[in-house]
Amino acid sequence: MTRFEPGVHVRVRSDEKPGHVRTPDYVKGKTGRIEGIQGAFKNPESLAYGGSGLPELPLYKVGFRQMDLWEGYAGLADDALYIDLYEHWLEPAQKEAR
Amino acid sequence: MTRIHDLGGSPDAGPIDKDQHEVQDWEKLADAVTVILDKKGVKTTDEHRRAIESLEGEQYKELGYYERWIAATELLLVEKDILTREEIDEKAVELEESWR
Repeated sequence: MTRFEPGVHVRVRSDEKPGHVRTPDYVKGKTGRIEGIQGAFKNPESLAYGGSGLPELPLYKVGFRQMDLWEGYAGLADDALYIDLYEHWLEPAQKEAR
Repeated sequence: MTRIHDLGGSPDAGPIDKDQHEVQDWEKLADAVTVILDKKGVKTTDEHRRAIESLEGEQYKELGYYERWIAATELLLVEKDILTREEIDEKAVELEESWR
């Protein structure tokens, strides 16, 4: 079971989590849209320290408008960035992102 | 506070160096050693990434891509009690002398 369905807007948690995470700083706190579900994968935050990585976590393809990511973005309004993010980094978004 | 490896998009990160170069033999070797240690279950890609990210800021900036790979592999081999720092350093000196 996955918490989010494609088309739903999500906000990336802005936590400063110590240790190895696969969520880059530039998407933290930003709102995007679930574009797809990539499957379930072992948790890299556990694997990075010799852990089992279990339970596997849903991994989503999340789309962001470039203008929502970069202040003063000068490209086209439709320019998008897609990134894979694990479920525990996402929370429901209030505002419409796109 | 964002750590040194996570600087994508930060205003002072500067432009990406897109210069290409012929892959050197030592770089292929660094890649091969890292991959085979994964295949043999000695370490995981995630551990390797974590070790790269643990390099100190100045060291991280000074080292090239595969130099970081090698430094991380060393860290993990020592951490896992497979090699000691002394053994690695002694072997490095030995190899350096044999190539003079």
